[in-house]
Amino acid sequence: MTFSDDRPTMIEFKDVHKYYGDYHALRGINGTIKAGEFFSLLGPSGCGKTTLLRTIAGFEGISSGVIMIDGKDMVSVPANSRPTNMVFQSYAIFPHMTVEENVGFGLRKDPRSKDEKAKAVDEALQMVGLKGFGKRAAHALSGGQRQRVALARGLILKPKVLLLDEPLSALDKKMREHNRRPATKKVANFIGTMNFVPATILSEDGDKVEVEAKGLGRVMLDIAQAPEKAGEEPVVGLRPETLTLLYDDQKASERETDGVIDEVIYFGDMTYYDVYLGGTDVEVRLSMRNVPGRPVLDVGTKVRVAWSPSALVLFR
Amino acid sequence: MKKAPFLKSYTIFYLLFLYFPIILLPIFAFNDSKVVAFPLQGLTTAWFGEMAADQNLRNAAKNSLFIALSVATLSTILGVFAARASVRYRFPGKAPIMGLIMLPLVLPEMIIAMALLVVLLSLGVQLSLFTVIIGQVLITTPFAVAILTSAFQSLDRSLEEAAMDLGETPLSTFRLIVLPLVMPGIMASFLICFTISFDEFIISNFLGAGQPILSVYIFGQFRFPAKVPSMLALGTVLVLFSIILLGVAEYFRRRGIAKAGGKESGGFL
Repeated sequence: MTFSDDRPTMIEFKDVHKYYGDYHALRGINGTIKAGEFFSLLGPSGCGKTTLLRTIAGFEGISSGVIMIDGKDMVSVPANSRPTNMVFQSYAIFPHMTVEENVGFGLRKDPRSKDEKAKAVDEALQMVGLKGFGKRAAHALSGGQRQRVALARGLILKPKVLLLDEPLSALDKKMREHNRRPATKKVANFIGTMNFVPATILSEDGDKVEVEAKGLGRVMLDIAQAPEKAGEEPVVGLRPETLTLLYDDQKASERETDGVIDEVIYFGDMTYYDVYLGGTDVEVRLSMRNVPGRPVLDVGTKVRVAWSPSALVLFR
Repeated sequence: MKKAPFLKSYTIFYLLFLYFPIILLPIFAFNDSKVVAFPLQGLTTAWFGEMAADQNLRNAAKNSLFIALSVATLSTILGVFAARASVRYRFPGKAPIMGLIMLPLVLPEMIIAMALLVVLLSLGVQLSLFTVIIGQVLITTPFAVAILTSAFQSLDRSLEEAAMDLGETPLSTFRLIVLPLVMPGIMASFLICFTISFDEFIISNFLGAGQPILSVYIFGQFRFPAKVPSMLALGTVLVLFSIILLGVAEYFRRRGIAKAGGKESGGFL
């Protein structure tokens, strides 16, 4: 949890507990974070990451234990006096102010002259790549620009501790996946693409096409689902969002196929699963919304996948 | 679009029913006759002159304006307190307390007026414009609370936390962040309360101690047929005044929304 070098300790947790009523949100947090350390909190949603950040920033009190920042107990230090600054998940950009008013907000009580403050704001904006955006209305910015304004607003005060709540949420999902995982062909091909399952055309009769799709079995398709022949090996395409994992005693409304989970990619609000279909080497990816009470499944779990013949498209 | 002739005529009929009497107001206000009836007799501005010369009426208008401004200010301030508390904080008995604050909305005004009259008299309080203001604040505050609650609700809590994080005290955060962002709601609340107070009759009549107040005065003057045309002239002026007020309010509301980059939130006006 900590570096073994001899940099000074910046944050220290001693047996920190936090209750919300009966709910035990933080259960005995211990540990230290050194000065200059880049420290990430990881975990599923609802595990207390944000709560811990908020107790450091001083927005939430703690039920018991001690949080020390730079050697001082923070118990009686309010948020506006702590040497911390936070970049909020929602960025919390003040919508009625310009970009430079936002960035310079924390300098209001700074004794420096107006010109020096303006210079500091310009430097902060330059640092986050928003030079020349100062006069713009804050609400006219894109999500990523807002986040950078929030970052500049926090950094301009040179805090001892900079807290970032879900700092990757502004990057779009393709970008995030790109940043977090090596760009294998499998991953790179995923976004916006379909699952392709090898298929054999069994018969074609007027407006009906019967195919045998590997892993899925025999399916009768409407001619509207089979575009013009393009001289390719026949494959059946299906979008990840048209596939659903069946939990416990749920029944498929149309067809279902057994499978085994090969890979789990967790995204906060969504989980993507790569599943081998019906004992074959055909793998499809499907997406499930994460809802409370529905566990994220592990690699190797045997699952049932529900699908609908009407969602298939035959490429040939 | 499917044709629905019934809905169309229903809408036209409804709007006519609503606005036809108000359109008659300026027509007869400029009509050169003491009798309010067709056919029209010719154009005159004499009734406006008579209205302007009426010293009692001017007193009544002045009193009403004073009452309405005081009521709007007081109930909007009270509304800010109540709305802020109900949106932000949890405290024991919150639901019944908010319920009781909103109750005058559905309580017959007559009953409030009578009850207040009995209490004030038994306390030995002299009836005056101030007792009218107290009574009207009681009935306009729920409107202020309702409007301001939605204004406070649309405020992202992390904005306040961000301001505190950047070194502001709770008080300066309220002044620099909260107040500017709920300002459209405060304006709306002020105007609604002003309008309700301005034409309020029952409490003005019960608690006004015979002081000239516009609504009471107009009601009194209507008994004299000779006074009716100048009252219609007054009505015309008030309609014009309302339209201007509404226009100004809408202008500020839209400007506020545009400035904050917000989406159209409907609103009261």
